[in-house]
Amino acid sequence: MIASGTIYGVALNDSDERARLESSFHDEPYKAPPAAPVVYIKPRACATIGGAPVPLPTGEPELVVAATLALLFAEDVCAVAPAAVWGRIAATCLALDVSLPAASYYRPAIAQRCRDGFLPLGDVGAPTLPAEIGTSIDGEEVHRWSLSRLVRPVETLVADLSAFMTLKAGDLLLVGVPGDAPRARAGQHVRIDAAGLASIETRIEEQRS
Amino acid sequence: MKRARIFHAGREQWAVVSDDGGTLMLANGEIVAAAQVHWLPPVAPGVSAYALGLNYADHSRELGFAAKQQTPLAFLKGGNSFVGHRGATPRPADANQMHPECELVAVIGRPARGVRASDALDHVAGYTVANDYAIREYLENYYRPNARVKNRDATTALGPWIVDAADVPDPQALSLSTRVNGVEVQHGSTADMILPVAGLIEYLSSFLTLMPGDLILTGTPHGVHFCSAGDEVVTEISRVGTLINHLVPA
Repeated sequence: MIASGTIYGVALNDSDERARLESSFHDEPYKAPPAAPVVYIKPRACATIGGAPVPLPTGEPELVVAATLALLFAEDVCAVAPAAVWGRIAATCLALDVSLPAASYYRPAIAQRCRDGFLPLGDVGAPTLPAEIGTSIDGEEVHRWSLSRLVRPVETLVADLSAFMTLKAGDLLLVGVPGDAPRARAGQHVRIDAAGLASIETRIEEQRS
Repeated sequence: MKRARIFHAGREQWAVVSDDGGTLMLANGEIVAAAQVHWLPPVAPGVSAYALGLNYADHSRELGFAAKQQTPLAFLKGGNSFVGHRGATPRPADANQMHPECELVAVIGRPARGVRASDALDHVAGYTVANDYAIREYLENYYRPNARVKNRDATTALGPWIVDAADVPDPQALSLSTRVNGVEVQHGSTADMILPVAGLIEYLSSFLTLMPGDLILTGTPHGVHFCSAGDEVVTEISRVGTLINHLVPA
């Protein structure tokens, strides 16, 4: 499944990462902690299905492979109350949000996040909120995170976003990425799993230029 | 040739606009008066829209930033943000620092990946006009310009049409202007872009594939003017078009 609409993601929605960075939020260039959800967009060129390999750009040693949950909207969602959110979601799937390592959240990380093949998506299924998502590299589990870490859980996140932007039918929303996501190198096999959702399996491949 | 996306006879259609702008020809040859059509933003659903911040040195200085960024400041826009010619844009009651931004938009015609600047314009199908509003009160320093500023519903007017690239031989020789209730508040030239259209295509296509219909909003020159609900805002780019937008209370 590749979304027919816009693919949104949300950074800094991991409470562990927020706690670690909290002291820096008052310094330049941020000056204050984030108030609204920190949104990014992944262009369609990122999205792949069926386990297509993820290209590692020439000269880069490794990629951040962040496992998350994606929500597919069934209808336009504008100014929705948290309690009504799940009724607007048509399906969910796992997503592997790939990026190049970046330390700053000041400017949109387009060159780090928006590269071809940087969003393998799993098969969609009935709306499911898994308790945890695990990531394995070359057959060994290297990361597991609980969605209870989300600063804004799914219901609050969608409600807060819909207060200033309509999430449209066919849009996809990645609900947050773990700040301690593992890294993977060329040739490594990456798998993400969560109860009730189709797994994603992919490989990191040197980009052919 | 100018191609417009309109709502007519109960459906969305692409139509060819006459030279004088008075009529449109539908795909079946039918001619309709421009006054009778409903203009949609000339963007196909689902395409990717890239936008540039601080791509004019004079605007960067006006906002207190260095004239040139180390890397281009690019961000993306969602499909919710667009509104067509003669459309209405919500102006929140507390948005006392909401300002229009007149921008040249390049529309991609052929897939572009790893394209050099010298070949980049071959990948452009045409050009249109954007008025990409910003609300300065809502700025935050995380992925700035953040979504609450730049991804609001119907805050990016787009259109009225796409002019074929063949009719715009030099996209870096166009004048831009914005008029609010008839008074000019912004005036500039695409000659002053830090990274021209060809350079933007080279930059973006160095890490992603630009696909047909994708948009690149190329930034705005100086001239920050705060608007009110009820204002008529007209953005115009020579050789491309004149885009009308109305601000409504929200």
